[in-house]
Amino acid sequence: MIELFDVRKVFNTGKPSEYSALNGISLNISSNKVTVLTGPSGSGKTTLLSIIGCMSRPTAGRVKLSGREITSLPERFLTDIRRKTFGFIFQQHNLIKGITALENVMLPAYPLGERHGPLKERAMHLLDRLDLSRKAHSRIEWLSGGEAQRVGIVRALINDPSVIIADEPTSNLDTKLSYRFLEIVETFKKDGKTVLITSHDPLVYQASVVDEVVRLRDGRLEGEAP
Amino acid sequence: MKSWIEKQKYIIDFTLSSLLRRKVKNIGLLILYALIVFILASVMFFTHAIKKEASLVLRESPEMIVQKVVAGRHDLMPLRYRDEILKIRGVQAVEGRLWGYYFDPVFGANYTLLVPPATTATEQAETEPMRTVVTENEHRHGPEEQAMPLVGAETIGAGNIVIGNGIARVRNAGKGEFILFRTHAGEGMPLRIKDTLSSASELVSSDLILMTEPDFRRFFGIPENYVTDLAVSVRNPEELSTIAAKITRLFPDSRPIIRDEILRTYDSIFNWRGGMMIVILSAAVLAFVIFAWDKASGLSAGERREIGILKAIGWETSDIIRMKFWEGAVISLTAFLAGVILAYIHVFFTHSLVFEPALKGWSTLYPQFKLMPFVSAEQLTTLFFLTVVPYTVSTIVPAWRAATIDPDAAMRHTGE
Repeated sequence: MIELFDVRKVFNTGKPSEYSALNGISLNISSNKVTVLTGPSGSGKTTLLSIIGCMSRPTAGRVKLSGREITSLPERFLTDIRRKTFGFIFQQHNLIKGITALENVMLPAYPLGERHGPLKERAMHLLDRLDLSRKAHSRIEWLSGGEAQRVGIVRALINDPSVIIADEPTSNLDTKLSYRFLEIVETFKKDGKTVLITSHDPLVYQASVVDEVVRLRDGRLEGEAP
Repeated sequence: MKSWIEKQKYIIDFTLSSLLRRKVKNIGLLILYALIVFILASVMFFTHAIKKEASLVLRESPEMIVQKVVAGRHDLMPLRYRDEILKIRGVQAVEGRLWGYYFDPVFGANYTLLVPPATTATEQAETEPMRTVVTENEHRHGPEEQAMPLVGAETIGAGNIVIGNGIARVRNAGKGEFILFRTHAGEGMPLRIKDTLSSASELVSSDLILMTEPDFRRFFGIPENYVTDLAVSVRNPEELSTIAAKITRLFPDSRPIIRDEILRTYDSIFNWRGGMMIVILSAAVLAFVIFAWDKASGLSAGERREIGILKAIGWETSDIIRMKFWEGAVISLTAFLAGVILAYIHVFFTHSLVFEPALKGWSTLYPQFKLMPFVSAEQLTTLFFLTVVPYTVSTIVPAWRAATIDPDAAMRHTGE
């Protein structure tokens, strides 16, 4: 369970360009469910996602993860939580060019110092699950958009996180590949993982696999008074 | 502990693959960096080796030389000074030396003319073993071996000379040939080359001509009761300065020169030359520093993005700094090793091809000699701290700055 209490985020505080991205969000995200954050551009979806995923801190408010307050934790602890609890799927895939798909998949596990043999075996198994075993030793730049995204998904799973966070996962995919992505989300759900997706693609937030849709506008939950 | 080691292995592995991914930038940097280390190391190796060589050569020179001075300039030394100095307590032997310079207008070169010791101190020669001419190209590396050519006047013979390799080269002359000299009185004086000196001693013997005492005196018109200077040996080296003071008191117009003073002069001459080289090359060094700073400290957009991705997927700031540290260390250590090895080959195997004219001095008779490979830990440490440390530090600072930014920069890259 992820709980948010009056979360606010202000960028460029004190400067003429000061901008408030989140204006007091209180929200509960259930475990083992698929939740979609939706809303127009600039509504604060990605900002909220990065705060939940311990990538940035809120300016005000609190975030609790399984009952544990995480907003005030030092950087090192946040990194540890991010590494073990969350798996990230990025819109632009954010894979590192020049190295193979397999190496990209293994990267999040490097700081944990796991032995190479078992780690490689797990990575290969996960790549196989998403029909990528043939591409394991291909460089990232040689992969198609759909393949690159699936490599990004496998990378998110390498540390066996309990929460999968996906930022606009279908924005660069065609309809067929978007459905393929939703099938993969279905398997996450079956595996008992919590999935949190930002998307303004109706194909995603109207999908049957989605349990809850949270609508944002101007940094607030839709329907809440400014 | 095991997982810590695994983690370091992964980081180093990733660092190496990162370096390979930016091949062009890193190879360019490596070449320039190695070139600078090569230049600095060459100058350093050369000056140290030549000083070492000179000190080995001079180790066999007299402990003290006494010259007569007139109006602040070196003058001929009357032989009666020798007899008086010999009476000073603690003096073991005093040897009159005959030497001088001769300018050859045909080749525009200066030669050093010298009478080997035995002829001027016949009474000592009788007690010493027979000296032999060293003519072969043997190399002297053992401390017990002689650095200076040992030539007995008896073996030269009247009308003959033994010449240094520099002269043999410049005049293209060999054994048995005659060289025509002009005496102080303007008369022609042909002398036959009996032999050439060992190339091992070439640092000091390149421009040397050895001849007998009568020939020398005729050549320069030096009277029988005069020598150029006196070589004094003492029983206890600790007493050198006391004996020097006594000589000055006895003969106020004399100037004793202790061997250590000559060594110090050599030291400062070669330090000065090395320093001059570095000053001249400092513009190149500065250009490299600016280039290295720019390349190492300025992270490209791609590198920043990569750091953002690594942080987003769970790498700690310290992991990224460690990675950048290894990156800097690999480049600078490789360049350091390559530069040092190339400099070693350059100085000790190719006779310092590039810096030879500037470092050895200027003369028509360039000595050609192989330097004894000599590298000290102190030299390498100095070079290391001048090159590797600043570069490695300069790579860490920007990486630390980039790595402390919130990892959501990687997400921000995507928009919203």
